[in-house]
Amino acid sequence: MTLRGADEPAERRAVLVGEDGLDQWLGSGMCIALGGLATACHAMVAVRHIIRRNLRDLTVIGSAVGGLDVDLLIGAGCVRKVISPYVGAEALAPIGPFFRAAAERGDIDVWECDEGQYYAGLQAAGMMLPFLPCRGGVGTSYPELNPDLKVFTDPVLGQTLLAVPAIEPDVALVHAAAADVYGNVQFVGTGYADRLLWRAAGRTLVQVERVVSNEEIRRAPERTALLADGVVRAPFGAHPFSSPGFYLEDRTHIREIVEAGRALARAGDRGPFEAYLDRYIRGPETHVDYLEQVGLRRLLSLHEY
Amino acid sequence: MTAAPAAVRELMAAFLARDMADGEEIFVGTNLPVIRAAALLAHLHHGPNMRVMVAHTRTNLFRTPVMEHFEVLTDWRAGRWAEAYFNDNEIVVFQKSRRDSVFFVGALQIDPHGNSNLIGLRSDTGRGFRMRGPGAIATTTNASHVRRFYLFVNEHSPRVFVERCDYVSTVGWGAGGADARRRLGLPGGGPRYCVTPLAILDFTEDTKRLRLRSVHPGITVDQVVVATGFPLVVPDRVPETALPTADELDILRRRVDPQGLLRR
Repeated sequence: MTLRGADEPAERRAVLVGEDGLDQWLGSGMCIALGGLATACHAMVAVRHIIRRNLRDLTVIGSAVGGLDVDLLIGAGCVRKVISPYVGAEALAPIGPFFRAAAERGDIDVWECDEGQYYAGLQAAGMMLPFLPCRGGVGTSYPELNPDLKVFTDPVLGQTLLAVPAIEPDVALVHAAAADVYGNVQFVGTGYADRLLWRAAGRTLVQVERVVSNEEIRRAPERTALLADGVVRAPFGAHPFSSPGFYLEDRTHIREIVEAGRALARAGDRGPFEAYLDRYIRGPETHVDYLEQVGLRRLLSLHEY
Repeated sequence: MTAAPAAVRELMAAFLARDMADGEEIFVGTNLPVIRAAALLAHLHHGPNMRVMVAHTRTNLFRTPVMEHFEVLTDWRAGRWAEAYFNDNEIVVFQKSRRDSVFFVGALQIDPHGNSNLIGLRSDTGRGFRMRGPGAIATTTNASHVRRFYLFVNEHSPRVFVERCDYVSTVGWGAGGADARRRLGLPGGGPRYCVTPLAILDFTEDTKRLRLRSVHPGITVDQVVVATGFPLVVPDRVPETALPTADELDILRRRVDPQGLLRR
């Protein structure tokens, strides 16, 4: 006897996505959230795909300490609006050069916020609420700079607070250590705020260093941090950023991006950045082509210990 | 052999370290050498029960001879020293656990009441920015809630100390007055000191205006007054900032900063 209807599938569905399949996930005009933090763990296979396909008018939700993943997208002209409390690479680039130039000229919209407001908005989306209150920002210029942040008097204690509207990404793009083919994702480390991005987003696409067996996931199910709608096999997929447990950030490569950005911002010279895009993003057609361009020697030099 | 005299950044670190008490939660910055040194010096010198936050970990390093210097916030290798590791969003959202935290706020601009700006400089056209800064990151929310914070700048000049900030990203003492923060409903204790390469500033008790507390060795009161873009409250007697003790310098140079970043 079967409990299954005649038209229902007999097998559990794998959610592996090939690089060609990324076109089903990403399109111009979308609101995308990028995981990781600062110089770590950004979903760079997806980010390079966006630039290669020349997508336009994206709203980009960077991580709370957004990295040069956001900056590359701005430099390549893919971005209309940025929602991120920071874009940069710490000491390597205290402010992302493309972000800084575009914000100064007013070429992109910046949804100004600090980390507290940013997380309140994402959490509101995950809770299916129109807004969440936030105290950080009361008495500051944030409501003036970002009219979406509304000062209000709370109806319980009468305190003055900010209402932060829900921030709801169409898709969250995350890089993690491992997943099985069914989308059970496990991190090495905490995963920063990637789990919250998953809670807030309509769909979540996770690129992983390793695709592992379902049995391996079941050995430590308490480590499963989020359930992906799609999994992309992507060893070294966060390069030039770090991936905890696998490799450190590639500072030489990050400096190349920063120098190209500064040439554009300071001297109006787009040459170095166009050369960078041709060499590393538009030229290589796939992730493997990109890794070959970076070179095995460099990749293997990024070990943690 | 006598040790080399204290560099100004060692002096700044020692001043801040003395102001932190055992049991407080301290934040060790990755790209902020003076703040990192101040927090670790307090911990190793007189704070065996401090909770130390380094690269997203919580730990205690009292018995650790030397901790490696991490250059990036996300360096997973800091885990070797960790007792706990938290998600970024938990650290920012749950402020109740930071009631006993001390925190540091950098600034592009600081006004007479210690309100500060990391957002940028206002454009003349109303579009974009004359200069876009790094943004508040988490300073707005943290400074609203932590027990107290310190303003910290690497430059003391009239372009930093301004009558009015172009934008305010972190509230100090708002419009002024000892109840300024209570009126805004901000539970944290607000800024206590402002530490610069020239001087230590504090706030007058009644109006909460910036006041000169001490000048670093070799700096005159007039130099500080001229370098401040608004009338600074100057008491009749302004002492020199105290030098680090031999014990403090020894801990700084042997255990906190063996690479000598503060002396460069």
